[in-house]
Amino acid sequence: MTLISNFMDGIVFIDCDGNVMLMNPAAEDLLGVKAFVASGYPVSALQGRAELMTVLIADRQRLVEGRDVTQTVEVLHSEHDLLYIKCLTSRVTDYNGQSAGSLTVLKDVTADFKTDQLKNQYLSIVAHELRTPLTGIKTYSTLMAKGSLGPLSEKQAFVIDSIREQSVRLEQQIDKLINLGHLDSDDFGQDREEFSIAEFMAGLLAPFEQPARDRQIALTCQCECAGTEILCADRADLRRTCQALIENAVKFTSDGGVVDVRILRARNGGLRFAVKDSGIGIDPRYHRRIFEKFFQVEDPLTRHHGGAGLGLFVAKGIVEAHGSRIEVSSRLGQGADFSFALPHQSTVKSVASGKTEGMKR
Amino acid sequence: MERTVLIIEDEKLIIVSTQMVLEAAGFQVESATNGEDGIAKARTQSPDIILLDIMMPGIDGWETLTRLKRDPQTANIPVIIFTAREHARGHQKSTDMGAADYFRKPFEPDELIDLVERHVVLRT
Repeated sequence: MTLISNFMDGIVFIDCDGNVMLMNPAAEDLLGVKAFVASGYPVSALQGRAELMTVLIADRQRLVEGRDVTQTVEVLHSEHDLLYIKCLTSRVTDYNGQSAGSLTVLKDVTADFKTDQLKNQYLSIVAHELRTPLTGIKTYSTLMAKGSLGPLSEKQAFVIDSIREQSVRLEQQIDKLINLGHLDSDDFGQDREEFSIAEFMAGLLAPFEQPARDRQIALTCQCECAGTEILCADRADLRRTCQALIENAVKFTSDGGVVDVRILRARNGGLRFAVKDSGIGIDPRYHRRIFEKFFQVEDPLTRHHGGAGLGLFVAKGIVEAHGSRIEVSSRLGQGADFSFALPHQSTVKSVASGKTEGMKR
Repeated sequence: MERTVLIIEDEKLIIVSTQMVLEAAGFQVESATNGEDGIAKARTQSPDIILLDIMMPGIDGWETLTRLKRDPQTANIPVIIFTAREHARGHQKSTDMGAADYFRKPFEPDELIDLVERHVVLRT
């Protein structure tokens, strides 16, 4: 009991009937309710900090549907003190495995949240500062390459073409950085539409074919389905997810290795997207952390592989927004297998009417 | 008749390079390095189209756009937002505020010319 009282995170236990049975001092402070007042009373009847009380009530209801619930809420703790509280609610069972109620841990993540915000702001400013000079380089080199500023010798044309190509590459890198850094999980999977697997697969591997060839990596794609299955998902986001997985697989596979992209029938009748590689693998102790924003297994200063540490964070957010989760199977030195399943709408609909879409820049 | 583009942009580099692109395509180009000068030039010179940066010292691009659209003398000039920074739902915001289009920097010179041509033609 002393242990719980001195715990830095808030802890609230609510029994099956919705009555508060336990509340430590940290929880009292965050919820704005005294334990002696709350104890034994229904959580719905308590007058506390509204944002958190709502979460306690809502999470209990959501628990009935199954999984543990995690959410972060903004709480005005005092007049000038805005806190970000992460609420983790899980089911508690008794000795017989019967449900005994729910336990909510309230964790103050304000510091993490602010660091994250700063990183995002920083990224946005850096991107702007980089794009401005880049606009000059790209515009001038394009004009020269086109001959608008007079004829060029063969060597000059070669150099100008290269400057232009590099500026486009730099631009893509900046776009990537900012688009990914900016994202909040609320933005994922918002534009749902219906499309067939065949449409989705078209060109999916294209950006990786050359890099794979350059390093003698066998990049293969197997589809266990007909291709006419219709998915209802955010197509651009789903594409990003698959491409992030493929990009990582190619990146972390040594020359001469294998990257295998597969679309399989999932147990629930949907489709499973899987990307398997023969790369360096991931130590199981990092399997959860690799999905965190900006996390990198390697030390950023001494590492051999590029990247901002955002690919899997975004992929996870997108897959979760579609009601699924990414599964990882990997050991150090033994390759990695990432996969996720999505339900498909129907296999009856025709694909012929699918509209063609131009590639976005 | 010569078609004119007004660029409102605080970065000299962007003005000069964009001007080169547009002049090569046969446009006459005027420029202003801040919102207030831009509005004054728009009133006196009635350009066919305006390219407007967002992040500028003094009044920013959004405020400049609002004032251009409020003034009957400039309200009908199509404005293309011309930005290097991500803006949350920037395209939507631009069109909601009366801009004709939204264009990102860095850009492909041919795309800029196409875009400007399209809006100038639409207007005539």
